[in-house]
Amino acid sequence: MLLILFTLLGISYAQSDSVKWEAKQISYELPITHLHEYTIDKSSFGMTILSSFRNIYYFFISDLDGDNCPFYPSCSAFFIQSVKETNILNGGLMFADRFTRDLNLLKGMNHYPIYKSGKFFDPPFNYTLNSQKIKL
Amino acid sequence: MTLPSIIHLIHRKLNYKPVLFLFIQMLKSIYRKNNLPVMLIIVYILAVTSFSRAQQSKDYKPPVTVKKQNSTVKDTNVVKQQDLFLPPNRLKFGNYLFSGNDYLRAAAEYKEYLKNYDNDTVRLKYALCFFRIGRFPEAADNFKSLFFGSFLSEEARLLFYESHFFCDDYGIFRDLIEKTNYLPLVYRKEVERLNSATFFLDNSFLPDTTNLFKPFDDSVHSKLADFYYRKKHTERKNLTTAVLLSTVIPGAGKIYTGEIGDGITSLIATVVSAYLAVSNFQNDHKFRGWLFSGLTAFFYAGNIYGSAVSAQIYNARIRFNLQSEIKLFFEQRNYFLPGIGY
Repeated sequence: MLLILFTLLGISYAQSDSVKWEAKQISYELPITHLHEYTIDKSSFGMTILSSFRNIYYFFISDLDGDNCPFYPSCSAFFIQSVKETNILNGGLMFADRFTRDLNLLKGMNHYPIYKSGKFFDPPFNYTLNSQKIKL
Repeated sequence: MTLPSIIHLIHRKLNYKPVLFLFIQMLKSIYRKNNLPVMLIIVYILAVTSFSRAQQSKDYKPPVTVKKQNSTVKDTNVVKQQDLFLPPNRLKFGNYLFSGNDYLRAAAEYKEYLKNYDNDTVRLKYALCFFRIGRFPEAADNFKSLFFGSFLSEEARLLFYESHFFCDDYGIFRDLIEKTNYLPLVYRKEVERLNSATFFLDNSFLPDTTNLFKPFDDSVHSKLADFYYRKKHTERKNLTTAVLLSTVIPGAGKIYTGEIGDGITSLIATVVSAYLAVSNFQNDHKFRGWLFSGLTAFFYAGNIYGSAVSAQIYNARIRFNLQSEIKLFFEQRNYFLPGIGY
């Protein structure tokens, strides 16, 4: 009887290895790092509308799709910055050019400088048709 | 040598251990009661030893703290000698910092020194501190103060021109060259070299090669001639040509500026979207037709604008690469910093 009692006590108070070493459940999900900031630019009426559209694009498409743009700044950010740097027409043309360059599958051969995040650095001030603003 | 001194010497050599030994011997002899002479000798030795130890302690003199007399006069002198903030000490410390390349702090020390004393070498080093840390306008102002009535005038004049040269405003530099009373006599060739270099480094017109190459050695003339030719006849891409080419054939302007991949992409994107637009209109899909028409216009306009920008970036890159090469050439030959002893 005593032997059975000790055996039962031993079993009931025994700790498994995971309890003894306080094992944690490991999550293999990648942390989300690319979520955008949903800010509204109130510098002008046009910028307010544009930044609102950009936020809608971020919410419904970009944040769901992931951080896929190979450029820095991303195409959407490039468009907003281009419009801010020039005007809506010039910014639109700059965006059209950027979008075409983004379609190029061999863009790595264009010798874009590499940004610290590993993306191609392609700032809008190089595309304003003002040679004084170009920085290489 | 007396017996106590011999005993004392033995004790010192043996670190006073025999005293304990003798004391034990004494206890033994008392215990046996049969050796009175030995006991007397031991007592004698102990007495002599204790006497010598006592004498030793008597001779000991602690370090004496000397109290200074007339403290009001002498103490102030002592304090003054140890004042690290006196101008000569500041100068020494400034020189130490200067030799350790700590120019910012060295300048602060020299500034304090110059409040009390006027020294041309220190003034030159003070200016040189700003020169070395890249604060060229301040350096130039301080070098200017040594232009007249100083034995370092020549060096100061050269460094003044160098400071203006490194400000990267070559227009101002060339204006200063016109002021002949500023030009150094000894280092005139160096200043002329700097002047020639400015024409290579900025985008101004290039003067005649005879005057431009004159301050340089014959050995570098061929290299300078190469730079001169490349600068004067830079292989540029024409913006208008790029735009016209892209207008006729989408992407051709980009191919003209060397962006072959982007050019082909533009062509494919424009042609495919145009084909889809036409095809949808032909099949009575008006909405899709207009959608692809808009997309075609978007790609077509972007292609024309992109060609112009691409030509501009190409020209900027060519100019930038040549400027970098020229700058590296001048820097590697150290034309700007001839050895000056100070």
